[in-house]
Parts: sequence; C-alpha cells; structure tokens
Amino acid sequence: MRIALYEDMKAYKQLYELLANGLYRFSYSMVRSAEVAEEIVSDVFIKLWQMRARLSEVDNLKVYLYTIARNCSLNYLERNADSRVIGLENLDNAAFVEGANPADLCISADLANQMRRIVQQLPPQCRLIFQLVREEGLRYKEVAAILDVSPFTVRNQLAIAMQKIGEAPLLKDVLLKDARQKLAEK
Amino acid sequence: MHPREDQFWLLVSLRLSGEATAEEAATLDRLLHERPEMAARLEATSDWWTHAAPRNPGLKKGALQRHLQRLNERENLPPRRRGGRRLFLFVVGIAASLAGFAFFFYHWTPKLSAPAVAHNSISTKCGSKSKIQLPDGSQVWLNSDSRLIYSETFTGNAREVQLCGEAYFDVAKDPVHPFVIHTNTIDVRVLGTTLNVRSYSNEKNTEAVLIHGSVEVTLHSDPEKKIILKPNDKLVVPNANLAGAKTAKPDADSGRTLNLGKAHFMSRDSSAVEVLWVKNKLAFDQETLETVALKMGRWFDVQVVITDDSLKHMEFSGVFEEEALPQVMEALRLTGNFHYSIHRRVVTIRP
Repeated sequence: MRIALYEDMKAYKQLYELLANGLYRFSYSMVRSAEVAEEIVSDVFIKLWQMRARLSEVDNLKVYLYTIARNCSLNYLERNADSRVIGLENLDNAAFVEGANPADLCISADLANQMRRIVQQLPPQCRLIFQLVREEGLRYKEVAAILDVSPFTVRNQLAIAMQKIGEAPLLKDVLLKDARQKLAEK
Repeated sequence: MHPREDQFWLLVSLRLSGEATAEEAATLDRLLHERPEMAARLEATSDWWTHAAPRNPGLKKGALQRHLQRLNERENLPPRRRGGRRLFLFVVGIAASLAGFAFFFYHWTPKLSAPAVAHNSISTKCGSKSKIQLPDGSQVWLNSDSRLIYSETFTGNAREVQLCGEAYFDVAKDPVHPFVIHTNTIDVRVLGTTLNVRSYSNEKNTEAVLIHGSVEVTLHSDPEKKIILKPNDKLVVPNANLAGAKTAKPDADSGRTLNLGKAHFMSRDSSAVEVLWVKNKLAFDQETLETVALKMGRWFDVQVVITDDSLKHMEFSGVFEEEALPQVMEALRLTGNFHYSIHRRVVTIRP
C-alpha cells in the first residue's frame, strides 16, 4: 500500500488500478452519475499526484483517498443540490446491471436480487457503510475515519443492514418451505 | 420477533466482515447451536455476502488514459481559482475522434486538408479552461466553450489548427513550417509569436490581438487581401454567418467594416485586456451588455437572459479576478442601474 510515489509514474498507475474502481463505486453511490464519479476519481488521483512529495505524512493512504473522494462527492452534491433530485430514481434502476454469477450462488437469483434491492433502499449512511465493508473490504475503523463517524456507529449500522437483508421476504419463504418439508418428512 | 434477533445479526455482521473477536465468534456458535433454524439464514446471507457481484462494475474502459490526460493538462494550468467553480475538461481522445470529427471537420472547414485524416480535438465547456501543448511545442490556452482541432499529421509541412471560440497561442518558432490558425472568418498565419484569437460563432465579430512577433491575416470574405499585424495590433472582423449566413451577398458584406485598432491596457495590469482571461481574470472593455452576457455565460456556466433590448447596448468596462457570479452581477447592476435575479443557472436582467 505504501508505495513511494516520488515521481514514480509506474507505481502511481498501479495504485490507480488497485483503488480506482472502489473509489468510483463509492463516489457513484453518492453522486449517482457515471461521468461525475469518474471525474471525482480522477480529481482524487490528481490531488494524490500533487501531494506526492508529502505522502509520507499520510497515515493510511487508502483511507486518505476515500476521504478525498467523499469530500469531492459531498461538494458536488452541495453544488447541485436542487438539480440532482429528479434524476435519482431513473439512474438507480438503469445503472445497475446485475453482474451476479448464479453459478457461484446457492441461493436463487431472485433472492440475491431482492437482497440487493434491500441494500439499495437502506438509508444513505447505512448503505455506504455496508458497501465499504462488503465490496471494498475496508476495516470498521477505516470506514469510520472515511465517513467521519465512530467505529461503533459502523458496527451498529452494519448489524442493522444485515438484519434487514436477512429479513428478505423470499428468504423467509425459502426457510419456511424447508421447515415444512422437514415437518412432512417426520 | 425473537429478542435475540438484533444480537444475532450483529454477530453475523461481525463474522462476515472479519471483525468478530474470539469471544463474539464463540457467542455466535453457541447461539447457532441453541437455535439451529438460524443457521440457514446465516448460510444464505453469508453466501450472498461472499459471492454476489458488486452492484456496480466499476470504471468505464479507458478511464486511466482519460485521467492521465487530465492530469497532464492540470499540471500545466495556472493555479485554480477559489470559489468552487467547476473546472471540467472534456478531452476527446484520438481514437474517438476519428469518424465523428472527420465529419465535423469537413463541415466546418472545407479549406483544411482532406477530411479522411484523423484529428485531435480538444474542447472546453462553459466555466472551464484548459492549457494544451501541441506536438511542436506550441502552447495553447483554451478559453471556455471553445474547441481546438488539429490533424494527426500536425508536425508535417504546415502546422494547422482550427479554432471555434477563444484561445491564446504561444507559437513555437519554426520559420520553415508556418503555423496557421483557421477560424470561420479569418485565417491567421504565423511563424513564431504570441497572440489571442477570439472567434465564437454566436458573437458578432472575430478578433485577433497580437502580443509579440508578426502575423499575416487572410479574410475569408476577401482572400486576396492580406493584413499584417504588429505587436499590440487588434483586428476586428465581422462574422459573416451570424445573421443570414450564406444568403447574404458578398456585396452586402463588404459594407460592414473591419477594424484595425490597438489592444487596450488598463493601468492595473501589464497585460492587454484581451488576454486577461489567461490569467483567470474576467475583463470587459467597453463591451455591450449583450457581449458581457455571452462572456459571463461561458465564464460561470450560466445562461444570461436580457429581457429588454434597450439594455443590450449599454457598455461596461471592468476586471474581475476572484469574484463569484453574485458579486460580478452586483457590480454591473451598480453601474448599469438595472435589476437582475439569479435562479439556479439562469441570470435574468431587466430594466
């Protein structure tokens, strides 16, 4: 992680390959525009390049970059507070092409989709926390630093997210069917 | 709902995210042992947790290249002004420009080489500027809402660019290969010099201001005539196509005067007013409100509407550096004695 970036373009590109997609997904879930999110990621890495001489002062580079991305996204949302509201719903459905790989999943695609929808409907902060932990594999205290909340909040919000996902109606159906089957066998 | 439900999901989330302590892991195991029906839920959610693809696949192809190009341009830009103005640079890459721009190019500039040649196009949106270095080392500052096109064979015999909008050129010296700037109204031929060319299709005039060196200007309306500019000369040529375009007869056009004057200086600045934008200053020099509105629209990325025609001919002069849109509007209102309102991205000016 701590690649010395002093004028080293190769290391810089590697770091981009490593983190850009995660930063993009993170920004995207805040700004809901592919173009804007890409631009934010680009801004983050421009900043990184401009900062390269002082990177040794940065404690956790990953957290640092996510924090910049968060600030850029919030700035964008603030600037476009009135004009963005309309587009949200359209984007939501159109932009997410589910790349689930049913072969790897024991649960049905319908159930997986239902769980995914539940995640989308979580309150924003809860959704971001869930996403950072599950999709980007960040630690609780890293997520806490990025979102400027306490690690305890991360822990609680993630538990809430899990509970909601676990309450997916289809999951209940499946479990109920299982139980009935067992009962019938007896 | 079972009272232990909350705790169960807390433990599940801790386990899935790898944050569970040994003690918490043991508690979960005990819970699962007590209530085996919970195990199926854990299994299903954990399966989904580890295998479901991310909701959003990630960046589009070519993002790294686009980023590196932006980085490259940003590195050469003057320090960004404060106030949160967006500086969006939209750069169209070589590959993407092939088919599309062959058409545009042909459409706009029948004078310039064969349309089959690939072209590079760099454009800026309203509210943004960009600095580009051309393959020959020439530097170009591109003002808002402008487009610069140059062919892939740029380094060949003639260095030719097509400009729509405004740009400041610092042309690398090369006496053997003249540098030609094409606009819709004039062509400017230079050897090595610094100049500003302003040619927006929605403005009345095309202007060229020479800072150093010497240039030769050819008018499209009168190709035989060549005008030589000396430092600080300013040439203003009416844009033929603004009113009726092709239907206007050449005779009617010649009635409109072209004007050779001098670049203007204001006491505060060492640069001519015409090129202050390069230094991130918004300047008006005895310009009509109509022109001011167009300039502000591009500068702040807003739409400026003037409701009354009588206001359009009022003239304004002034230089703004860090001021945001409301401050500039307030300053103009004080001198112009009009009323205005700003709503979202639309500024309305009325008597």
